[in-house]
Amino acid sequence: MSKQALNHIINNEYAAGFVTDIESDTLPAGLDEDVIAFISAKKDEPEWLLQWRINAYREWLKMAAPDWAHVNFPKIDFDAISYYSSPKGMSDGPKSLEEVDPELLATYAKLGIPLHEQEALAGVAVDAVFDSVSIATTFRSKLAEAGVIFCSISEAVKQYPELVKKYLGTVVSQADNFYAALNSAVFSDGTFVYIPKDVRCPMELSTYFRINEAKTGQFERTLIIADEGSYVSYLEGCTAPMRDENQLHAAVVELVALNDSEIKYSTVQNWYPGDAAGKGGIYNFVTKRGLAHKNAHISWTQVETGSAITWKYPSVILLGDNSIGEFYSVALTNNYQQADTGSKMIHIGKNTKSTIISKGISAGKSSNAYRGLVKVIPRASGARNYTQCDSLLIGDTCAAHTFPYIESSNSTAVIEHEATTSKVSDEQLYLCQQRGLAAEKAVSMIVNGFCKEVFKELPMEFAVEAGKLLEVSLEGSVG
Amino acid sequence: MFDYIGHTLQNPLPVTSGWLESLHQKARLGALGRKVSDESATESWKYSSLCALEENNYATTAKPDPEPDLLDKTLSQTIGIDKSNAHNLVFVNGLFSAELSDVEPPPGVEFVRFSHAEGQHLTSINASLGTMADKHQSIFRVLNELHLKDGMYIRVNKNVELDKPIQIVWLTTRQAQSYTVSSRVLIELEPGSKAQIFETFTSDDAQQNSFTNNVTELLLREGAYLQHFRVHQEQEDALHIGAVHADLYENATLKSFHLALGGALKRVDVAVNLLGEGADSEQFGAYLLCNDQHMDYHTSTEHFVPNCTSNEVFRGVVGGRSKAVFNGRIHIHPGAQKTLARLSNKNLLTSDTAEVDTKPELEIYADDVQCAHGATVAQLDELAIHYLQTRGISRAKAKALLSYGFVAMLLEQVPEPVFAEHITAIINHYFQRHYSEEGCDE
Repeated sequence: MSKQALNHIINNEYAAGFVTDIESDTLPAGLDEDVIAFISAKKDEPEWLLQWRINAYREWLKMAAPDWAHVNFPKIDFDAISYYSSPKGMSDGPKSLEEVDPELLATYAKLGIPLHEQEALAGVAVDAVFDSVSIATTFRSKLAEAGVIFCSISEAVKQYPELVKKYLGTVVSQADNFYAALNSAVFSDGTFVYIPKDVRCPMELSTYFRINEAKTGQFERTLIIADEGSYVSYLEGCTAPMRDENQLHAAVVELVALNDSEIKYSTVQNWYPGDAAGKGGIYNFVTKRGLAHKNAHISWTQVETGSAITWKYPSVILLGDNSIGEFYSVALTNNYQQADTGSKMIHIGKNTKSTIISKGISAGKSSNAYRGLVKVIPRASGARNYTQCDSLLIGDTCAAHTFPYIESSNSTAVIEHEATTSKVSDEQLYLCQQRGLAAEKAVSMIVNGFCKEVFKELPMEFAVEAGKLLEVSLEGSVG
Repeated sequence: MFDYIGHTLQNPLPVTSGWLESLHQKARLGALGRKVSDESATESWKYSSLCALEENNYATTAKPDPEPDLLDKTLSQTIGIDKSNAHNLVFVNGLFSAELSDVEPPPGVEFVRFSHAEGQHLTSINASLGTMADKHQSIFRVLNELHLKDGMYIRVNKNVELDKPIQIVWLTTRQAQSYTVSSRVLIELEPGSKAQIFETFTSDDAQQNSFTNNVTELLLREGAYLQHFRVHQEQEDALHIGAVHADLYENATLKSFHLALGGALKRVDVAVNLLGEGADSEQFGAYLLCNDQHMDYHTSTEHFVPNCTSNEVFRGVVGGRSKAVFNGRIHIHPGAQKTLARLSNKNLLTSDTAEVDTKPELEIYADDVQCAHGATVAQLDELAIHYLQTRGISRAKAKALLSYGFVAMLLEQVPEPVFAEHITAIINHYFQRHYSEEGCDE
């Protein structure tokens, strides 16, 4: 492939990198208990939640930012970040789509996220989160018929306080880790989902996160509860404008899968990754964890192509007997992106099963690490884990790492881990080219084949999007 | 809690020969202000506790040897391969025993005690000692130098092929007071030379109160070929924190085999640096644990240059209330293209009170490489046990047989029958003793 063609593709513009010119209410930078009180008051929260936030903040003050991940970045000045930003006039939340600023709707239309129900993809309900605030949630009435609650977490705090109080922080506690504690203190919005007993959610649920304002952090919190025997499939997507400075995104996602229920959680993460020189981009420091009760099934599927730095380990605590945890991931890094991502499977119940399939693709000068933990405690007899981590290296300046931790204390548990590293070989390319495929198409095909095991876990619309995303982010990086 | 490093610094060794003294001085500076507890807080010690080291006062070195005659009797029972089949170097509690050793080296080989080194030999020692170990900073390397009274430099001259293996026996005995053994050996194979080194760590039958801090450095020049065996069969109260560091230059070949029976605290760091193109490293290892034993293997294979190959296979049978830790790292440095590296760690967990913590790591900075690693923790196949039981073999015996087979397949990789037989005998004895009817696995 010619150097020109290669440069052209590598320099592919980040398509979601535009800024929406909209007036915002943004809190001055800095964090103290007054800021937390302000956020809480702005959202009209009950006293217990304010206290919960303050407790988290006090825990956070005692903690140090984790430094064990295989990533390098300058120390974050947490006083230089604004912890709350909302499109002007949105503070109270819009009552209907008519009240939403047309500029905002245009933003989502440009991103390809349909907020008008008639235009929406059949069968997908969307909650759109813009900076700190949820601006629209579609198909609510249809979901309500099935008894499904799908709304922003601020709204859930007001309307379903018992549910929120019962489950918030039960999977990821306030003091779980540095970024989770920060999130617990300042989380502004996010999504709340409750699926009642024995209900199969009639459509895919989806949240679309967008950071717009400069010098802000986004701290959303997602809480999904699947009651006994229920099923839900949930998708999230994310983008941000191209900016020179790094922005922090520290989210917490908690999944509670009660007996016999199933939660399928899919992510296509396309935060702004920074430019070709490594300037700017989102720091994506996310805590995601699910708690699986008896016979429950939690499945994480992620396609990570964005973010300057990714620090993310979606986990499953297999608490109940016969519960199942799965993790399917494609993480792609290019230019100066750094990813330290993987999964944790904690086997507590008997006959619990977990599967981890991780595909890392590194190109440019990027670094891509898989870090995972499989832990089997003494009473988890019959536990079974299978882990496979494959890395694909494109170019001789990138790096790929694997750090799997395996801890077993039960003699009936079976744990298998394997990892391989390879590159798109000249022979493979030559073979495809010989059959009339352009080099770019051939690479795209080989990479798609490499990721197939993960893509097949994604809902159809997302699988198509993920495939395209990889093509855009990667195609042509092979010379 | 006993402050091991603090007490060690307060009890300096008496002044010996000039260059060792300066080694001690340098080590003192390196150890100053450091604490064992700081070391245990690091990732490298995540799964291994250093508490055993702080329970007793290990800060002094051994008293002079007991009578050699008595030792000879002990040795004849526990020594590695038959003494007549090897050139023997015996160290008792870290000190060289001329009585028990073959002082005269074979042709083309030089044995030089650190305390007697001078002239050309001293220059060679100074040029190489620590250059391999220093790549992996650890407080225990520093402490090894701080306590070092003597050591051995073995040089195999250019193009020399040894007729018999060199056997190094590190023997510890029970002493009135607990103590540290600091031992060190530097082995240099000049270009084109070929040797076999068999290291055995062993002890007398009494309950041990020693802490061995051993460093073995292997320097393989261009085209050199070394078979290195390291067998740990000390009595289980003996503590051991040891290291093997190897530098391989162009087309050098290292074939190593590690075998460890557990102890209260045993840890071996193995680092192989592939520094010249065409170098090849093969490592096999087995650990057999029961009771409250603890064994920790940390291995690291560093591919610095292109066109090298490495293969590593470790297997463990872990029962009783023991804990096995394995951390195997493959590190491909930038530019080390056309590397072929493989690592496998498989564990049999035979008891619900035992634990295995394994972490195979890959760190890769070059694209045209083939690397793979795998790890498993599992139990014996019930069907296989059942099959043997239907043939009239007791359940315990069936488990012993299958466990033996799981480890013994590594022995197929040992080319020399004399070594294979010896290691087979140790493994055999272990399973007979611990996996009998009232075996430690149930």
